[in-house]
Amino acid sequence: MRDRRLSRRNFLATAVGTSAALALPGVAAPQIKKGASLRLWILKTYVEPTNKAVEAAAQRWAQKHGAQVTVEYFTFEDMQTKYVAAIENKNTPDVGQLETGAPARFTGMGQLLDLTSFARQVEGEIGKAPANVAPVTVIGGKTYAIPWYIMPAFWYVWRDEFEKKKVKLPTTFEEAKAAAAVLNRPNENFYGLGQSWNRTADGYGVMQSLMYSYGVGWANKDGKYQSIKNAKMQTVMKWATDIYKEGIQPADTLSWTGSQNNEAFIAKKIAQTSNGPSITFALENALAKATDAKDKKMREEAVANHVALPHPGGPDGRRCWGLALSFGVFKSAKDPEAAMSLIAHLLSPEETVKVMNESHGQFSPVLDKARAATRDYFGKNENYRNFGRAAEWFVATGWPGPVTAAAAEVQASNVLTDAPAKVIVDKWSVDQAIDWADKKIKETYDTLGT
Amino acid sequence: MLVVGLIVYPIYRAVWLSFTDKLVGYPERFVGLRNYIYLANDDAFHAVVRNSLVFTVSSVALKILTGLGMALVLHATWRWRNFFRGLMLLPWISSTVIIALTWRWMFDSFPGRGFFNSVLLDVGLLSRPVAFMATPEGAMMAVVIANWWRGFPFFGVSYLAGMQSIPGELYEAASVDGAGSWRRFWYVTLPGLKHVIIVTTLLTFIFTINDFNIIYVMTRGGPGTATQVFATYSYEVAFNQLRWGRGVTISIFAVPLLVVGIALVSRYLLRERAA
Repeated sequence: MRDRRLSRRNFLATAVGTSAALALPGVAAPQIKKGASLRLWILKTYVEPTNKAVEAAAQRWAQKHGAQVTVEYFTFEDMQTKYVAAIENKNTPDVGQLETGAPARFTGMGQLLDLTSFARQVEGEIGKAPANVAPVTVIGGKTYAIPWYIMPAFWYVWRDEFEKKKVKLPTTFEEAKAAAAVLNRPNENFYGLGQSWNRTADGYGVMQSLMYSYGVGWANKDGKYQSIKNAKMQTVMKWATDIYKEGIQPADTLSWTGSQNNEAFIAKKIAQTSNGPSITFALENALAKATDAKDKKMREEAVANHVALPHPGGPDGRRCWGLALSFGVFKSAKDPEAAMSLIAHLLSPEETVKVMNESHGQFSPVLDKARAATRDYFGKNENYRNFGRAAEWFVATGWPGPVTAAAAEVQASNVLTDAPAKVIVDKWSVDQAIDWADKKIKETYDTLGT
Repeated sequence: MLVVGLIVYPIYRAVWLSFTDKLVGYPERFVGLRNYIYLANDDAFHAVVRNSLVFTVSSVALKILTGLGMALVLHATWRWRNFFRGLMLLPWISSTVIIALTWRWMFDSFPGRGFFNSVLLDVGLLSRPVAFMATPEGAMMAVVIANWWRGFPFFGVSYLAGMQSIPGELYEAASVDGAGSWRRFWYVTLPGLKHVIIVTTLLTFIFTINDFNIIYVMTRGGPGTATQVFATYSYEVAFNQLRWGRGVTISIFAVPLLVVGIALVSRYLLRERAA
C-alpha cells in the first residue's frame, strides 16, 4: 500500500511508542496527564448490556485518572461509513475499536500509531493473543492494534428437531446439508436450513468459513493473490447453491438482509442457521423478561433446546471466519499515552470479565490472562463452552495469508456472495460464476497489491 | 457569488474526483478517464445501469398515471374532497425509511408476518407463502411499488394545481361543442397540464434515478445484484471498498444524460412560452 508520509509518521510513531514504553513501567500503572480528554469509538452490538458495560468500564478509567472519556458508538451497519468520514474529515477518535480488516486498512492509510512497544507491555502483563488471532493486528512486522475479543459465528440448531428424526448434530457442512434434507417440512413452513448469501457478515462470513474449511483461499500464505479456479472451489459453490436448489431453505432466504435468520430460527421456522451469540442473548433475554408461568416455561425450554454448535468444518478442517475486535490509537490522538492507558484498563482481566459477564457469550476475550479469568463464565453450559472455544477455530479475512487491504476489499466488494447469487438468481453455471469471481479478485489485487 | 460557489464547487470536486484514483485516506492521483473506462467494461455496472433505468422508468410511469387519477378525483366536486386531499399527501410527508421498512414488511414471506402473504394465506388463495423479494423480478417490483407509493402524491398535487389553473370556459366551450368527459380530458385537460407533466416527470426522474434509501433498506441491492442502482452501488464502492474516485464516477455517470434532458426540456418550455 502506498503511504507517502510513512517515513515521517513512522518516526513519530516510534518516538511515541518508545516514550510510552519508558513512561509505563506496567500497563496497569500508566503515567497520564490530569484532565486528559479522550474520544473512544466502540461497536454497538445487538446485546445492549455489553455496550453499557464497555461504556461503564471506560468511565471507571476516567474517574480513576481525573480524565474525561467521550464514548461514541458505531454499528455493524455504519462502521465503514463513520470511519471513512472521520478519516477524510481528519476527525478520527483517539481510540477506536477496530474490526478484523481495519488495522491493515487504516495502517495502510497511515492513520494508526505503531503500538509495538505498548503491545509488548500488554503481552507481559496480560498475555498474548492466540497465534491465529494476533496477526490481525500486525502489519509489516509492527503491531498497530491490541486484540481484545473475538465475535465468531456458531451453528445454531434446535436439538429437539434433530432428536425427533434421530439425526446426528452436524460437524461438517455436508452433514448440515444432509440433516437439513431430513428435517425439512415445507408443508408446515419449517425448513432444514436458513443460510443467506447477502451483503452482511451472515453472508460473506459464512462463505469464507465454507471456503477456508474446504481449503480454498484467494490469497496465499504471503498474502498474494492465488486463483480460486479449482475443484475445491467447485465443491464449495456446489454446496452454496445446492442448498437453494434442493428446497431445504425458506424461499426468501436470499433476500434476508440482516436479522431475518435470527428471527426465523427463534420463531422455529428453520432447524439450523449460522449466527453469532445474539440468538442466545435474545432467548435468554426473553426468558428474563417472561412474567407468567406458562410463558416462562416455554422460554426455559427454548433456552435449553437451542444449541450453539461449533461452526461446521470441511475436508480441510474447521475454520470459522469471525470478527476480531481490537483497539487502535489514531495518529490524531492528542494524548497517546492516555489513550494507551485507557486501552490497558479496558484490556485488564477485571474489566474484561465485567464486560464479558454482560455479553451473553458474544464477547470471547483473547489475551491469555483474560481468557483464564473467564473459564467459570464459559463453563456454565454446553453453548457457553463452545463460545469460550471460539478462538480455536478463528480465521481472518484472506486466509491462509495475513489480512491485507486487498483481502479486506475482496470481502467488502461482496464478490464472494455475489458468485453463488449469480448461479441461484441469474442461472449462471458454477464454473462461470467462479471465473467471474476470480477475475474480480485478481483485479482487486492488481490495483491494490497486497 | 456564494450561491454559485456552493453549487459549482461540489460539482467541480465530484468531477475532479472521478478523474482520480482517490482511495479513502490517501491523496488523489489524476488517472484521466480510467474510472470511466473501468465502469464501461464492468459487468456489475452494466447491471446497475439496466436496473436504474428499469427502476426509474417504471416508478415514474406509475406515478404519472396514478398522479393523474388522483388529481382527477380530487378535482371533482364531492363531499369529502378536502379530507382526501390531505390524506393523499400522507405518503409524501412520511419518512422514506419508515416507508421502506413498511413495504418490506408487507412483502415479507415470513409466516404470520408479511401482510400480502398473511392475507392470501388466510383467504385460502395460497397454501404456502410467496417469496416476493427472493427473485430479481419480485424484488424490483417491490422497490418500484414502494418508490411509486412514496412519490405519487407529488404528481397528484402538481396536476391538481395545474387543473385548477385551466380556465373553466374551455370546458364549457368543449361541452357546448358536444365533447364528452373523455374528449374534454384529452383535448382540454391534458394540453393544459403539458408543462406540469414535463416538469414533474423530469424532476422525479432525477430524484428517482438517484434514490438510495428505499433500495438500501428493502434489498441492499439484492438478491445478488438484481436491484443494485447508481446510488447503492456508488455507496458500496465508495464506503465499503474505499474507492472514492470510482464511487463518485458511478454517481455522476448519469449526469450528462440528465443534463441533456434538462437542457432539451428547458429549451422546449422557453420556446413554447416565447410562442
